[in-house]
Amino acid sequence: MPFSKLDTAAVARTLSQIAEQSTDVVDAFFERREEVELAPEGEAGALRVWREEGFAVRLVREGLTWMASRDAIEARPFAEALRQVARAISAASYPEPTLEVAPPEPVVAPELLDFPAALSRAVRAHHVGFPLRVAVRRHRRWIQVVGPRLVPGPESEAFYSCAVESSWGRYGALLPRLSTGAGGAVEEVALAVVALFRARQAPSPLPFRGPAVLAPAAVAVLLHEAVAHALEADTLFQGGNPESAVGVAMAAPCLDVLDDPAAAPEAVRRTTDDEGAAVVRRWLLRGGVVEQPLADALWARTSPVLLPGAGRRGTRHLPPGPRSTHLEILPGGASESDLLAGTLEGLYLPEASRGALDPLSGEFALYLPYARRFRRGALAETVGPCVLRGRVADLLTRVVAVGTEAKPAGAGWCAKGGQKLPVWATAPALRLEDVEVTP
Amino acid sequence: MSQAPHLDEILRALLKRHLTDAEIYVKRGRSRRLERTPVTETSSTSQERAWAVRAGNRRASFFAAATGDPSPAGPWPEPVAGHALELPEPEPAPAWTLPSDFDTPLTGEREGLKLLESLGRELEAELPKARLLRAVLEDGSSEAELANSRGLRALTRSRLSTLYLEAAGPGSPAVTASLYVAAREPRRFHPTALARRLADRLAVSAAGAPPARDSGDVLLAPGVAVRMVAGLLPLLVGPGPGSRVIGARGRFASDRVTLIDNGRLAGGVFEAPVDGEGVPTREVVLVEEGVFRQPLLAWWQEGAAHGEPSGCVRRSGWRDLPMPGPTHLYLKPEPKTPVAALLGAIPQGYYLIDTTGPGRFDLATDRFALPVCGFAVETGRASAPVARAWLCGGIGAFLKGIVGVGRDLTFHPLDGMIGSPTLLVTGLELRAGPE
Repeated sequence: MPFSKLDTAAVARTLSQIAEQSTDVVDAFFERREEVELAPEGEAGALRVWREEGFAVRLVREGLTWMASRDAIEARPFAEALRQVARAISAASYPEPTLEVAPPEPVVAPELLDFPAALSRAVRAHHVGFPLRVAVRRHRRWIQVVGPRLVPGPESEAFYSCAVESSWGRYGALLPRLSTGAGGAVEEVALAVVALFRARQAPSPLPFRGPAVLAPAAVAVLLHEAVAHALEADTLFQGGNPESAVGVAMAAPCLDVLDDPAAAPEAVRRTTDDEGAAVVRRWLLRGGVVEQPLADALWARTSPVLLPGAGRRGTRHLPPGPRSTHLEILPGGASESDLLAGTLEGLYLPEASRGALDPLSGEFALYLPYARRFRRGALAETVGPCVLRGRVADLLTRVVAVGTEAKPAGAGWCAKGGQKLPVWATAPALRLEDVEVTP
Repeated sequence: MSQAPHLDEILRALLKRHLTDAEIYVKRGRSRRLERTPVTETSSTSQERAWAVRAGNRRASFFAAATGDPSPAGPWPEPVAGHALELPEPEPAPAWTLPSDFDTPLTGEREGLKLLESLGRELEAELPKARLLRAVLEDGSSEAELANSRGLRALTRSRLSTLYLEAAGPGSPAVTASLYVAAREPRRFHPTALARRLADRLAVSAAGAPPARDSGDVLLAPGVAVRMVAGLLPLLVGPGPGSRVIGARGRFASDRVTLIDNGRLAGGVFEAPVDGEGVPTREVVLVEEGVFRQPLLAWWQEGAAHGEPSGCVRRSGWRDLPMPGPTHLYLKPEPKTPVAALLGAIPQGYYLIDTTGPGRFDLATDRFALPVCGFAVETGRASAPVARAWLCGGIGAFLKGIVGVGRDLTFHPLDGMIGSPTLLVTGLELRAGPE
């Protein structure tokens, strides 16, 4: 842990000097990141390593925020940054706390070197073979937040991302581990790539209105965009007062959605957020009704209804904002055959490549690289790329059944306001009635 | 910033590890970021200090980048077998004078917040009850030093300001519009003009309706035209469009079209004497009066003119590997043609003032669709607002259908700075949907 030698008490004492008013929020955010990538075969710079560390000091007073960040963890830049954010005696010199951090470890990532070959083998095991361009990256991040009164424990995250390109499309995923073997990450990626290959010549469906069954991976993207983003305090503010969302019936009563960073996959599990506040098992929707929007420390100050603990920052150079970390959709009582039952023909949506929400109009689109038709309880032919569209409020009320088994439902990068963050999900399958899917 | 001996030490240390080709890039930067929403104001300053090394030999290579100062001792990662690393030889760069505005100080906190405040006021003056949801001003400057094992040495500086605006119109549900612009200094952002552009977008989006499927003359304002030019980039950057797109005798577009990329464009946001690998920049004519001359190629790409590299390898920051791409790619304006003359020449058609989302460009099927808003035009006058419309057609038809080019060249930050004046185009369709 790079911050084990950091004198957090000295940092806290220094910060307390600029917190002049009792309502001031002051904190220091220390960060170290390391990314190691094995680039696609044939590209120069085959092994790529990025290492960075630095800090940000922040003062918030009466809705105004001052922040200063540096690309080093050293005493003098820290004192300079403190002087930049201090309001009253900014010409004064502040004591320079000793900022000792552990040196970076040598870069060793043998698991990356094995991944492309393991993936090729896993694809061939499905009796197909085609050229793949594979980039795989390991992400590690360590953070330490220090406040003038409270010093939470250090946090760390480690995960992998991979991007696989073939003539049939691109597949990207975030993976908590790079495990091989049945059900492991390699097999998961191979299955997705093979599915893209097998759907390569399938025509897009004609405009369709009817039932759709979303597999856990597609549910994760749908609810990330339609529930998590929609219930971020700053997004809610664009349409009015965030606290007025509480109590609104936003989805079908069978839908329970939580954000619980403490239940995320082990390597990315968090006990505190990027502002040092304890994370909360937050019921975003209970029985389809909004219960607890996502808020960071600043939004939580605007209303007693909003709880902090969802402050995240993509980088030390930008201020934190309310974001989800790990969405959990509680399982229901519908078996797979229940989900696909009925006389009407429907579409089964195994994967979503991305989703997009217009926060003001509520218009939502879920982009699907391929889908499968289902009839009388059985999956049928594959169709090509299509888009599930609708207004969020309408779409979420069309959920009629929730699958019995909640699975780790993949994850992805979420970019908002220039901050790119990994997000995780555990979800069952969902059945929606009378939804619109267009080519 | 002069650290040449130090960089040489690092190159020597890499050579001792049998990494015969090596390059080191060191960057120092500082920036101020000001953000304003209806409930918060944020003022941030940051200082950047980082480096990147590419090193390899015939068999293996690595890329390493980190914050802080580089050290000859590394630690360096073990190179991994892959494509051999190729580095440019030193080339004499034509004379270039550092623009004076590179030395202007970064915007102050009060000055920057005042600009953002005034944008909100101007927007409300242009369109009552419209509100600015978010305004972000970023202002930064940096210096970079580059050295490679072939003896190339380069020093570069840059100065860049960007402004992002997000606004909502009156009414409920409110329509929204956003704007992203870039310049060398914040004082080049004119609040009245920017507020008017946002207000026009909001007003047209609120009042306009999608058209029935229609064709006719279409006047594309620079905001729309640059999106079309950006959609053509895969044809212009890299190995080239191939014979399928280029007609007989190299004809690529109408004779009104001249496309140029210029890394040292005077006044350009990315104006620099050398590119991200230290290769001298220059003006490269890609399409001249409709005839395809050459694609934009890095010195190492197959087909690049020997002895006359384009200097088109971009390096956005220390984290980024150098990649070929446009810096200031633009459609050459016609200095004698005012926009009013182009508008007046339309008997029946459309004046499209802005895009409302990302477009779809399918070069394989030669089709595009771009979401737009603007006005229907009759006898040179706007007759009705048009919104939720899609400009659709063939990519080749667009290029060959450009019949008029205005003088109002405007650059937008897209993939590099992409510029275009207003264009008068025939042979395209306006539809209510992309299909």
